[in-house]
Amino acid sequence: MKTTQVRPTGQERKFSDGELIVTKTDTRGILTYANDVFLRISALDEEEAIGQPHNLIRHPDMPRAVFKLLWDTLKERREIFAYVVNLAADGAHYWVFAHVTPSFDDSGRVVGYHSNRRVPSRSAIAAADELYGVLRAAERRHDRAQEAVAAGYATLQRVLEERGRTYDELVWDLSTNGRTR
Amino acid sequence: MGENDEALYAIADTCRQAAAGNLEARVPYLGESKAETEVRSAVNDLLDRTDAFVREAGAASAAGAAGHFYRRFLAGGMGGAYRRAAEEISRSGDAMSHNAEQIASAAESRIAFADQLESAVLALSEKIAAAAGEMGRSANGLAGFARSAVGDAERGLETVTELRRSSGQIRHAVDLINRVAMQTQLLSLNASIEAARAGAAGRGFSVVANEVKTLANETGESSGEIIDQVDAVQLASEDAVRVLKAVTDRIREMSGLIDGIAAAVDGDTVHETTGLSELAEVLRVEVQRFLTAARA
Ligand SMILES: Cc1cc2nc3c(=O)[nH]c(=O)nc-3n(C[C@H](O)[C@H](O)[C@H](O)COP(=O)(O)O)c2cc1C
Repeated sequence: MKTTQVRPTGQERKFSDGELIVTKTDTRGILTYANDVFLRISALDEEEAIGQPHNLIRHPDMPRAVFKLLWDTLKERREIFAYVVNLAADGAHYWVFAHVTPSFDDSGRVVGYHSNRRVPSRSAIAAADELYGVLRAAERRHDRAQEAVAAGYATLQRVLEERGRTYDELVWDLSTNGRTR
Repeated sequence: MGENDEALYAIADTCRQAAAGNLEARVPYLGESKAETEVRSAVNDLLDRTDAFVREAGAASAAGAAGHFYRRFLAGGMGGAYRRAAEEISRSGDAMSHNAEQIASAAESRIAFADQLESAVLALSEKIAAAAGEMGRSANGLAGFARSAVGDAERGLETVTELRRSSGQIRHAVDLINRVAMQTQLLSLNASIEAARAGAAGRGFSVVANEVKTLANETGESSGEIIDQVDAVQLASEDAVRVLKAVTDRIREMSGLIDGIAAAVDGDTVHETTGLSELAEVLRVEVQRFLTAARA
């Protein structure tokens, strides 16, 4: 658990196209590795990060439903892509296009999780921001965490149903936005 | 041996693990000197990018194999040879996607062909069934007509035969009348002769005898006419009998042909043949079965 609550300043931080933000966690989501880029962008020292839960950089704008989907998918041993806005320790925020995967050992057992994050396009950020606003609004109507996450998740499913897309397809629609293959 | 030995061994250990395929391994904290920080950061960056490439290559290929062509190879954060290989994989993904589209469109046109064939066969078998029904009804109508025509002709034959028999009887009756007339003529001749012999006393009697003779002559003449008529009737009715027999034979033949048509349309339980309507249904069912297999 975080000891001090970071207040978002509304300042956006960016990283460059050639950079990868990398973290690894154990099976419970406790950070076991963070690369230089992660530490720099998140305004953290290595010893502040390692051993902490990954929600260390959780931004209050992120809907709970997205993290439910993330953990549900990882538990099925599958990869997941997500647009995520993170909160740096100094209150700045940064958007990433995250790819989260299980790490397997030679016997096929999940030994932890891994995340590579890349720079998302502006149009993808705008679309994700709008979608998350809708999910957040659904979640904020509930006081209890369980009910909130259920409401956000149901809203996400409704959005997907209306568009006739799966979550994965929607994410990739955003990432290939404006580009032909 | 230098003072950095421990750090160098730590790097060597990480590299060995990574070389063995353990991409979870990273260089641990080595010390706070600039060189120690940099070499750690550089080796870990190498491992991160290799790790990222391996995860991408595995996942993107798996997605392609599963037909999830929307999942692209993420070349972001990849440079040089990593990027080139990433682009190569992306291209092969595109090719797979293209092939899959072609296969899908081939399957679609197969389905479209199946749909066309189905509606054509359905329309055809419906038409055949309708035509067969029509033919069946016509054949039944004709058969009924032929039966009543045969009945009519047979009754006509009876009537004509009856006519022949009656004209025979008439002839017989007229013969009798002729003989009576002849007898009467002879009788009146004898009466005239006897009257002449009696002289003036028999004059009145001779007038009566003359009247009787005239009557007998007339009777003989008209009965000759009747015989001629009866002969003509008999000739004509013989002709009629021949014609009617020919007509009934023809109608019977026609009736057999019509039964043949009805059997072809409705099937024949005696010879266990399948009728046209049933064949149309069999055709429809067979084509449907073929199409179900073709669509699968
Ligand atoms: C490999 C990995 C990477 C993650 N990266 C992030 C991240 O960048 N930002 C984030 O908010 N949560 C991340 N999470 C999810 C967190 O574990 C956590 O579920 C999330 O922050 C929600 O926290 P909360 O349930 O306390 O609200 C990651 C989880 C895993 C396993």
